[in-house]
Amino acid sequence: MTGIGLQECLFLAALLFCISIAGIFINRKNLIVLLMCIELMLLAINLNFIAFSYFSATISGQIFVFFILTVAAAEAAIGLAILVTLYRNRQTINVADLDEMKG
Amino acid sequence: MIHALVTAQSVIAAPANDYGLALPEIIMLSAICAILIIDLFVSQNKRIITYLLTQATLIGLAIYTIHYILHISTATEYTFNDSFIRDFKGDVLKIAIYIICFLVFLYSKDYLRERRLFKGEYFVIGLFGVLGMMIMVSAASMLILYLGLEVMSLSLYAMVAFNRKSSVASEAAMKYFVLGAIASGMLLYGISIIYGVTGHIGIGEISSYLGELAKSKTTMPLSLVFGLVFILIGIAFKLGAVPFHMWVPDIYHGAPTSVTLYIGTITKIAAFAMVVRLLVDGLGPMHKEWTQILVVLSLLSLAVGNIVAIAQTNIKRMLAYSTISHIGFLLLGFIAANENGYSASMFYVITYAIIAAAAFGLIILFSRKGFESDNLNDFKGLNERHPWYAFMMLIVMFSLAGVPPTVGFFAKLHVLQALIKADIGLTWLAIVAVSFAIIGAFYYIRVIKLMYFDKPVTEDNTPITAGADMHIVLSVNCLLALGLGLFPGALIYLCSLVFTPAV
Amino acid sequence: MFTQILFYGYAAILLISAILVVSARNTIHSALFLVLAFFTCAVIWILLRAEFLAIVLVLVYVGAVMVLFLFVVMMLNVNLEPLREGFVRNLPVGILVALIVAAEMFLVLSTKGFKLAEQSELALVDATGYSNTKAIGAVLYTDYLYAFEIAAVVLVLAMVTAIVLTMKKSVNTKRQNPGHQVRVKRKDRIRLIKMDSEPVNRKTGDTKSDDAEKGDVK
Repeated sequence: MTGIGLQECLFLAALLFCISIAGIFINRKNLIVLLMCIELMLLAINLNFIAFSYFSATISGQIFVFFILTVAAAEAAIGLAILVTLYRNRQTINVADLDEMKG
Repeated sequence: MIHALVTAQSVIAAPANDYGLALPEIIMLSAICAILIIDLFVSQNKRIITYLLTQATLIGLAIYTIHYILHISTATEYTFNDSFIRDFKGDVLKIAIYIICFLVFLYSKDYLRERRLFKGEYFVIGLFGVLGMMIMVSAASMLILYLGLEVMSLSLYAMVAFNRKSSVASEAAMKYFVLGAIASGMLLYGISIIYGVTGHIGIGEISSYLGELAKSKTTMPLSLVFGLVFILIGIAFKLGAVPFHMWVPDIYHGAPTSVTLYIGTITKIAAFAMVVRLLVDGLGPMHKEWTQILVVLSLLSLAVGNIVAIAQTNIKRMLAYSTISHIGFLLLGFIAANENGYSASMFYVITYAIIAAAAFGLIILFSRKGFESDNLNDFKGLNERHPWYAFMMLIVMFSLAGVPPTVGFFAKLHVLQALIKADIGLTWLAIVAVSFAIIGAFYYIRVIKLMYFDKPVTEDNTPITAGADMHIVLSVNCLLALGLGLFPGALIYLCSLVFTPAV
Repeated sequence: MFTQILFYGYAAILLISAILVVSARNTIHSALFLVLAFFTCAVIWILLRAEFLAIVLVLVYVGAVMVLFLFVVMMLNVNLEPLREGFVRNLPVGILVALIVAAEMFLVLSTKGFKLAEQSELALVDATGYSNTKAIGAVLYTDYLYAFEIAAVVLVLAMVTAIVLTMKKSVNTKRQNPGHQVRVKRKDRIRLIKMDSEPVNRKTGDTKSDDAEKGDVK
């Protein structure tokens, strides 16, 4: 890929990572968006791995991404399952309502 | 053509891989699949069969691993193309995990039955968690470490949420899930940077690359330190070290006590293994950098854990903050950054897991259908009702506080000795740790005061409903806190042996 | 030059859609912007010669995971408006944190020190005959066999967990049990009853008994 360096890819991934972290901080209200932010974060990490893999001409980074994708899919399934049980118990998915335990 | 050659070479290279080294993992996975299927054909009143099969698997693996280190080999060997490592310390940690998990399931049996949670899937998911820990303990590559961590974490999220009817449990599970996922993300970002600098994901390869780098340069490149910081944030989250501890009290409190028992004991051993593999085996040449950050984490954990615990009224929350302070102590051994320190930390984490199993086991023992017994007030006047178990609780609390001659004292002593002997100008840290331990002793002794000197809040003479197996094993477990304190030599020797380089 | 334009164009779309995921008012819009982010990211991965993973990303994420998200959003049917209350209040803090972290990351990531391959090695990957899928396939089932097996474990675990947590046996619905249907015997369905023949009333053609002669159907 001519004209694009490693730095550009890393900056893009870093920006994406920061947006997702900010999203987790800002979004105190909706748990589903929180789960989406986590997906976004993993996307940024995958981008990082693929950029490193290409520019160092090693395949292991891409293999790592393959497995992160697998795990993230499983994680999304479990996260949504927990979300559904929470909704059945509380009838809400509001982050601010998660305050039954304090101390 | 080239592709065909590559494949052919791999096939030829295959005999070098002795898959037999991974036998415990293979047995565990086969047993999980078998139990999952057998459980389908077992009716609810014979569910005990699933439980017995689970326990048999754990005991079988423990016996096999003990046999392996005694009679076959304690050498460090690799398989699966250098992604699986079998070594002495890994085997010892695995034995500890099997045995403590056996205790955990034994204590949970009656608790689960009374709450209609006695299902086959509970034990299957529990075993999946143990499999994840085994994978972590034996990980020789960042990829395997990450996958093992995820297998463990996903099982834990599921176990916390297992009581579907409980609103508190699902809240705890959701919090655990979100924070755990963020922690994994941080860890992965750090690993990606390390991969970017070294070009490797194998732990051994990274270590040798960094070793070369450390020889040629006086300071590590900034990008490496940057990656290290993210990895440490991930580790701190998983360990529950301050300032990444917010999930610990809520999860301990919200989860069913049987799950708290699981999280509070064996996962600590697995987390210790993760830190050893990542920081010591992998990023060992960077120990100057990571010890500085660990000092801060350790100091904050000791302070927050011990001080906030005083304000708690729920014993599960109190023990959660106690865990945080114990993590602070555990990190002191890593700060020493030598074999002495690591073995002291290993002794600390194994004994802590044993004592924590006893503590949560006692909470489970006093609970019964519709009553959790997790408030401190429930322990008032315990001595009048159950003098034997009040005495057991006394031993456990003394051990957690680190009062001689219990094992908790020797564990703390060893870590501090290792830190001072390392001679890196951190004697002040040892002194601070001791003073926080003294502050911490207050809330343990408060429990003892409640049991022996306070009148019971309610006239409550309900007998303990647990079976004979739980009475015997729990008593032995509690007495072990005293016994290991009086005769700590063997375990200390074992822990120092596994970290001696030329074994 | 062309790839450069492509890269910057798609990077811009990626970042904008990521911001919209976080800030969209409607959860479904968030989910759809996430789909857009996955698509554009897949394009960037193709530019980085990771075609296999790019296609997996589209198939697995857009095809399965995002559909799952949308299913849950639709299923839970949450009231959308009140969920946005804290957004504006937390916005300045969030942006500040993000900017500080981003600035630090830029400072560090712009330093050299990352491992870079030789131009000749890169040219090998850029060559026309190179197949990314083959390269991954060659190592996935050999060098990374162990990881591959663990990935299988993760998927089984996810399946067991999702079923345990969400499946409920509802009491009100009537359902078929295929096992019972298959195992049914002749005697469960048909009962032969011995009975005397009744005299038939010739005028009306009725019998006195209501029961059919062959028996009744369960």
